[in-house]
Parts: sequence; C-alpha cells; structure tokens
Amino acid sequence: MFENVDFARGWKLYFSISGVLLFAGLVAIALGGLNLGIDFQGGSQFTVANADRQVNEEQIRDALPPELAGDAVITTLGQNGYEIRTPVVGGQEEQGQIQDALSEASGGEVSVTTVSPAFGEQVRNQALQAVVAALLIIVVYISFRFQFSFALAAMAALMHDILMTVGFYAIVGREVSLVTVVAILTVLGYSVYDTIIIFDRIRENTPTVGYNRRRFDDTINRSIHQVIRRSIYTTIFSLIPITALLIFGETTLSDFAFALLVGIAAGAYSSIFIASPVLSLYKAWRAGAIRREPQRA
Amino acid sequence: MGSRRNNLIVLALVVVLLGVAAYFIFIKEPVTQSTQLGLDLQGGVSAQLQGSQSGGGKVTREEIQQAADLIRQRIDRLGVAEPDVRVQSDDQIVVQIPGIENPEEVIRIIGSTAQLGFYQVLAADAQPNIPEDEIGATKKDIEETLQDDDAFEKGQTKILFEETPSVQGRGTDVNGYIVNKTPDMTGDALQQNGATVEFNQQTGKRIVSLELTAEGGRQMGELTQSMLADAAASGEPALLGIALDQDMQSAPQVTEPLGQNISISNDSLPEGLPEDEATQLETVLNTGALPVNMTVISETTVGPTLGLSSLKSGLFASLVGFVLVLLLLLFIYRALGVVADIALLIYAFLLWGLIVIIPVTVTLPGIAGVVLSVGVAADANVVIFERIKEEIRRGKTPRSAIQAGYDKGFRAILDGNVTTLITAFILFALSSGSVRGFAVLLALGVVLSMFTAVVITRALLGLLGDRGIQLSPALMGVSKASMTATRQPQQQARVK
Repeated sequence: MFENVDFARGWKLYFSISGVLLFAGLVAIALGGLNLGIDFQGGSQFTVANADRQVNEEQIRDALPPELAGDAVITTLGQNGYEIRTPVVGGQEEQGQIQDALSEASGGEVSVTTVSPAFGEQVRNQALQAVVAALLIIVVYISFRFQFSFALAAMAALMHDILMTVGFYAIVGREVSLVTVVAILTVLGYSVYDTIIIFDRIRENTPTVGYNRRRFDDTINRSIHQVIRRSIYTTIFSLIPITALLIFGETTLSDFAFALLVGIAAGAYSSIFIASPVLSLYKAWRAGAIRREPQRA
Repeated sequence: MGSRRNNLIVLALVVVLLGVAAYFIFIKEPVTQSTQLGLDLQGGVSAQLQGSQSGGGKVTREEIQQAADLIRQRIDRLGVAEPDVRVQSDDQIVVQIPGIENPEEVIRIIGSTAQLGFYQVLAADAQPNIPEDEIGATKKDIEETLQDDDAFEKGQTKILFEETPSVQGRGTDVNGYIVNKTPDMTGDALQQNGATVEFNQQTGKRIVSLELTAEGGRQMGELTQSMLADAAASGEPALLGIALDQDMQSAPQVTEPLGQNISISNDSLPEGLPEDEATQLETVLNTGALPVNMTVISETTVGPTLGLSSLKSGLFASLVGFVLVLLLLLFIYRALGVVADIALLIYAFLLWGLIVIIPVTVTLPGIAGVVLSVGVAADANVVIFERIKEEIRRGKTPRSAIQAGYDKGFRAILDGNVTTLITAFILFALSSGSVRGFAVLLALGVVLSMFTAVVITRALLGLLGDRGIQLSPALMGVSKASMTATRQPQQQARVK
C-alpha cells in the first residue's frame, strides 16, 4: 500500500494540506464560530422530549418569560423534541414555572440543566488544565520510552489534532460542551497510540550505527510502509462504531462522536504525515547543528 | 507459546469467568436491575452545590463533610430512594437522586442553610391578592414603602418577605417586614428534634410546633415581654417574625409572653400550613442548620422519557457499531477473523460482567467509552494479525508466524494502551460526574482488551494450530500475490 509515497521527504505537500485546513478552522474561530455550550459560560438548557404536538419556535418563545425569550436559542431534536438554551434562570421556582409552561405548550416531558456562570468558568479552567496535563505527561512518557526527538514530533502531531478538531467545530458550528473536551482528550490518547505504533517500528528498524539523513529517512519510509495498513485498519475499526454513534446517538453522543470522528481522522493523518516528517526534519536539523558546532569553536 | 494443555487451561478459565459474569448479570438479579444506570439514562436530579461562608472566609473540609451529612439526613427524611451525596472537592457537594417527581422542591430543601431566626417585627406592610407574575414588582413596591418608614435604618435592619396564598384563593398575599439585621434569637434555641407537624386543637389547622430548650424558653420570654412593652407604647400589634434563612415563614401576633412552646401557623388557609410546606419545615429544622451557605452551581434534571430514549439510542448505536466491526474483522482476516470475533464477543460479555460486579454506573459518556474500547479491542487484534501476516509473507509457517506476531506486536500494544490509560486517569482526576463514568469505562475496557487480545486470542489460535487445522495463508487473509511480492529483496521506491 502506498508503495510510491515518500513520507519522510514529501513534507511540503503534507504540511500545506494541513495548513490550509487549519487556517480555515482558525478563520472560523476568529469569526466567532465556536459555539460554547452552557457548560462553559453558564446558563440553562431545557430539553423537551416526546412532545405530542408540533410547535414552532414562536410558540416556544411565547411560553418563556419575556426577559429570557429574546436570548433563547431554540433547536429542534428529531421528530418530537426541542432544546431551548437560555441565560441563567433566576431561581428554583422560576425554573419550575418555565418547565411547566413548556410542558403545557408542547405536551412533552421537560428536562433541565442549569450551570451557574462561576461554575462554567471553573469547568473551562479544569478542561484546559486537563488538556495541558495530558500533553505534558504524554511527552514525558514518550521521551522516557523513546527519545526527546520522538516526543517533540508526537507533540507537533497532537497540537495539529487538537487545532483541527476545534477548527472543525467552529466551521460546523456544533455546540462545544464538556463532552467535547473529553473527546479531545480521547483523541490525544488515540493519536499518540497511532504515532507510537509507527515510532516503535522506526526504533526497531533503525540500525545502531550513527545517524545518516538518507538512511534515517529511508528507515522512516520503510517503517511506515510496514504499518500503514494497520494504521488504516485501526482508523476504520475505530471510526465504524463512532459513525454509528454519530448517526444513531442522541445529541450528547452525536456531538461526542463528531469530535472523535474529526479528531481520530486527523490523528491518523498526523501520525503518518506530520509526526514522521517532523521527526526527520528535527533529526536533520540537530545533526546539522552538531556538525556546525566544532567549526564555530 | 504454551503447550496445548496450557491453552486448554486458559480457555477453561475463560469459561469460568464467563459463567461468573453470567451469574452476576442474569441470575443474581433480574437483568434490568443488575446494571446501574446513571441519572442521564434513568431520569433523576443531580445538583452540585458550592459552600461558602457568609463572611467570605474559607470553608473547611470538616464543615463541608458536616454539610453533606446534614443534606443526606434531609433527603432520607423525605423518603427518596437511594440518594447519593458526595463531597467532591474542598468546598463542593454533589447530590444525585434517581427518579423523583418534584426536583425543585427537593433542591430547595437540600440547599437551604435553614438557619432559623426569631425576629421582633419593627414595621410591616402588606399587599393582598397579587397575581403570580406581579409578585416581583409588588415586592419592590413594598420595599420602597418600608425603606421610607422610621423604623428602617440602613445597615441595622433588613426587610424580609412572606408570601402566602390569599384567603379568597385569588393570587398571593405579599407581606414585608422590617426586622433587625441579625435575628433576635436563632435556631440554637430549638430543642433537639423539637419541630413537629401537628394540628391545632381548637381550629384543626395544620401547624408546626417548636419546642425550645429551657434557656431558649427564658430568652423567648424576655423577647416577647419587651415586644409587648413596645407594642403597648406604640399601639401597634406585637408581631414575632419566624424566618428560615431570608424567608419569613410566619409572623404571628403575640398577645402574652411566650415560653418554651411556640408554633408556626398559617391562619389564612382553611387547612392551615400546606402539607408539603409543613413537612419541609419539620425536616430542615430537625436536621439543623448547615454550617455553611450552600449555593446550587449546576443542576440537571432528566425526565424518565428522555433518559430511556437516550439509553435506547445509545445501545442501538453501540450494537450497530459492534456488529459492523465483527463483520469487517471477518472479511479482512478470514479464519483469524473468526477467532478475533469470538474474542471480541467474550470481551464484550466480560466487560458487562465487570460493570455489574464492580459496579460501575453506566452514563451516556460511559456508553461512548465502551464503544471506543471496542475499537481499542479490535485494534489490539489488528496489530497482532498484521504482524502474523507479515511473518507469513516472509515465508514462516503459520505456527511460528503466530508466535512471532505475539512477541513483536505486544510491545506496541502495551505502549499504545498505556497512553490511553494515561488520558483516562487524567480525565478521572480532573473531572466529575458523568465524565468520570467515561474515564472508568475506557480504562476498564483498555485493560480488559489487552487481556482478551493477548491471552484469549492467543490460546484460541494455539489450539487451532495444534488441532492440525491447516491455516493456509489464504485462510488468514494473505493473498498469493502479496507473498511473492514481499519475498523478493525489498527495494524502496524513491520518489523525487
């Protein structure tokens, strides 16, 4: 498979493909495309299930108290479900009243989630901490099992995957919730796994004699050729159940599956087309730096 | 690789494990009860409360623990099934109650500090028969009137409100009272378990009677005495305000000095205090005040219908994904695929068994974790099988190819799974609630998948090889063409 592809030396093409996609994602983020859910900024979310009449957005808005109706975001879920997102609702009583009003208007069962803005901020900080902690620990682990250069290359691939996932979220405009962060962390685990399988081969195939750029690049190519079939199969095997979740799961599962779908696909790409070229380039740069050193001295 | 006997022992062990799992899933309890479902799947209320000191000081671990215990007592007194109250961090408590009908009320009970206060009412104002949506505006109105009253002194006094259903049954009567900023007497004066729901012997109306301690009774006597003296001087009736936190519960008129026994009543309604309100009062007063203020920072109420539909769609999606993975393994790896499929089925069943035995509460993200772990489990097989195929292409016999495939594939699987475990642990450490369910199930799935891929698949394959079943390369999904292709000396094609 891919017998004629030069993975180590074709980096200009691979980096540009990613670059274009990442740029599109960053533009979408800059234009405010990230749709942060109530988990991160606080607010209330009412979910109507099993409504026995069709109601339109106007009717739902009428059921809300006037001070909330203007800011409410209403989406339809399937045949007989609705989701209404509002700023934080005053108190228990008001929340109960809205629940009753919605249930009366639609004839369905109303579930509620409320997050205070202060807690939203806490969740946001925790999520960021978790991602940073994961990245650091993974780098330490790879440095320990392999070498620092491998860890650096894996890190580049991981940043690529995170940005790609967040970028796609901004482009599509799906709601970013706590579950999205969980998905991103999971993607990190997956992507590193993919990268490690390749690095493990490179380590196994690298001759013990000293570094030589051409030989090392050939080793990278040979290693990738040996495991690329596995990489593709693994990606397919992971993406099949995830696609099932995306299609058949309800909102939470579907959002989760979307993040995983983008992230795991990006991770499979990055472990082959980003991590390995970065490893090659870094090794070459290090070798160049070491060679130059004695001359300068 | 072990001998035939070893493989048989491993498989016998697996059968025993499957039996144990089946016992716990199906026989010990009906299958519908054996698996613990999270609130997002069965419906219920989950609330996260943050503790804070009124003065802004730091909340101690003991105080939050004490608050959690009190909250648990309060819920128990409500007779709600299986509440789960946990201290989450230094100042947070998570309360989870499955399937209840009136979540707002429950959350109000668990969250109220329930500091009982007795106040001398300094001045009062009331507006009767207010429709529900005008209560807020009316309170503002009353507040403005009272702030102009002579008795109001900024910083020294405060205004408390009482809402009661109107006697005529139309709307709500809103009362505002000026009282001293700090209660004249607090709940400390209450005898242990001193609050009881009772019926007034003369009127037959429902009241909550409060029995005070001896010291409390003495103080109450002094307080009411001085109130009566003030009333005699001003000509206004003497009102004793009884408030829970910042809500006035009732403000009865005092006509003679009171002693150890007083009561909270509502004379405007034919039945007296509404039943649920009386029970709430009794509950929070008897469990005592929380040592710190609790605010609800996040709350989720899931209806049973929504929970059930989430569960159904989640299970259906996982099932579809699982079956597709099984079929694809079969298609790619033929005979090896059959073995992998059997191993995956065993894996799924054992995972279910572990979920029931430990027990792990299955949440919506947890289902996602299980689905992902199916991918991980399938992948462990893929890594090893690809190695085996590679060795076969190099001309090894199936038996030695299987041996080599396991030896070389295991290292990669171990490294890869360790990273997944790392992420699972981070998720567990830095998150709460349903996300933890995901982390736990993912970690469990990863560890179990290594076990099935490395131990069970290997034993199955070993047995197949020993039975003299000829595993031709084609049976293992290796084509003739690819075999000859790789046997030739490898020449890397160089592009550029």
